[in-house]
Amino acid sequence: MFKIDHFAYTNRLKAVHPAEKFGFAMITLSLCVGLNSLPVSVATLTIMSFAVVVLAGTPWRFYVKLLTLPLGFLLMGIVAVVFSVSSVAAGYLWGFHLAGVYVGVTEDSLYFAVQLFFKVLGAVSCLYFLALTTPLTDILQVLRKLRVPPLFLELMMLIYRFIFVLLETAGRIHLSQSSRWGYATITASYRSLAGLIANLFARAYWRSQVSFHALLSRGYTGRLEVLESDYRLSWKNITVITAVDMLLAVFGLYGRGII
Amino acid sequence: MSRKIYFMVLTLLVLTFYPNPAYAMHIMEGFLPLPWAIFWAVITLPFLIYGLKSIKDTVEENPGFKMLLAFAGAFAFVLSALKIPSVTGSSSHPTGVGLGAILFGPTVMTVIGVIILLFQALLLAHGGITTLGANTFSMAVVGPLVSYGIYKGAQKAGLPRGLAVFFGAALGDLATYVTTSIQLAAAYPDPTGGIAASLTKFVGVFALTQVPLAVSEGLLTVVAVNFLVSHNKSDLLALSVIKREG
Repeated sequence: MFKIDHFAYTNRLKAVHPAEKFGFAMITLSLCVGLNSLPVSVATLTIMSFAVVVLAGTPWRFYVKLLTLPLGFLLMGIVAVVFSVSSVAAGYLWGFHLAGVYVGVTEDSLYFAVQLFFKVLGAVSCLYFLALTTPLTDILQVLRKLRVPPLFLELMMLIYRFIFVLLETAGRIHLSQSSRWGYATITASYRSLAGLIANLFARAYWRSQVSFHALLSRGYTGRLEVLESDYRLSWKNITVITAVDMLLAVFGLYGRGII
Repeated sequence: MSRKIYFMVLTLLVLTFYPNPAYAMHIMEGFLPLPWAIFWAVITLPFLIYGLKSIKDTVEENPGFKMLLAFAGAFAFVLSALKIPSVTGSSSHPTGVGLGAILFGPTVMTVIGVIILLFQALLLAHGGITTLGANTFSMAVVGPLVSYGIYKGAQKAGLPRGLAVFFGAALGDLATYVTTSIQLAAAYPDPTGGIAASLTKFVGVFALTQVPLAVSEGLLTVVAVNFLVSHNKSDLLALSVIKREG
């Protein structure tokens, strides 16, 4: 149903220990966001894209499409950051007069925007690395090791499973509505969509009761125990990850003149 | 004249890059500076802990509640993947914040909300991990609280149910959008005008898409609740037990 989920289960890094992938994504993400330096951001974007496309074997077209997905938010956000408002028209590279104030772009704000653009893309590539190489069930396994409350994890696991059940139901309702001209006009669309939502809710409620009864009849006592997949830690991977992240950190701190 | 051009460019940008306006209100991965990301996560944490605790108490009394919550979460996730037809021809996604808060109450919505936001980041590439705290605060703390508060308040004031639901859902959406704008403005204050100027910018930039969205979501929620009341009254009555406890 979801392409990202599909690639998470079928990529070439699937057999790698989830803690390694999770750690790599999180540490690199914090470095990229925390250091906020242009070279580190570009390096993060390059390393993660390499890992996703070359190492994990995700089709590059799909990856590029994913990268462009949040561009809308990014560009709007950058428009808001790059333009500064002032009562005097001083120091602008380019600007205009609007409703009594000057709106324009300064050299600083332009550099800031470029820096932000790459920082965000770098961070997004870390997120995609995790999402495209590690199935959610494996991420849950890592979170369990990190002592996230069991109730929270159980809810996550159940919601993850039920999403697919409800998506299929919603898809079927939508199909039968469309085949009866349910989405032919705006008014009909609103009515149909609201009907879909209400019915989906009723189905979800019914399903929740049926699942509970099914569990009860199988001896459910309030805990769902599942087997965890067996993964082996690889010292080679850990060394490479540590080296890459150390290099990024040194690179970033050096660029800022801290070391 | 330049003003006209400015708005034309802005509109063009919006139309070009905004296929999914509702998703756009998730602050994307990496957009917030690290201190702000941590700040919002810390602010959200007490709400999350309180929500989890209240769920735990309810589950102990009524174990079936866990299944119901899980389906509620899945339901809200699927809801956010649907498209609302919009008058302008483009489509947008409902947030489901209002409906969820009205059906399940705001405390529970915080816990469900954070899980949904995490799944949206990992399965749909909307939102992010560093911005999870900020997004949870706007969409799963402020939004549901406002929706629920307005819905209950309007009911108490004797307004018809339709209006109460409409204002609850629409204003919950708007509250989410304003909170997000405040989060962005606080993180990126205007170098000359400060936070106030920057807030005006963010509110202005996102108002174009968010105000119509709030209205369509409000309308949709009204029709959905009407459907539920006319066809699933017994389920709703059963739910009100949960609402009292959750």
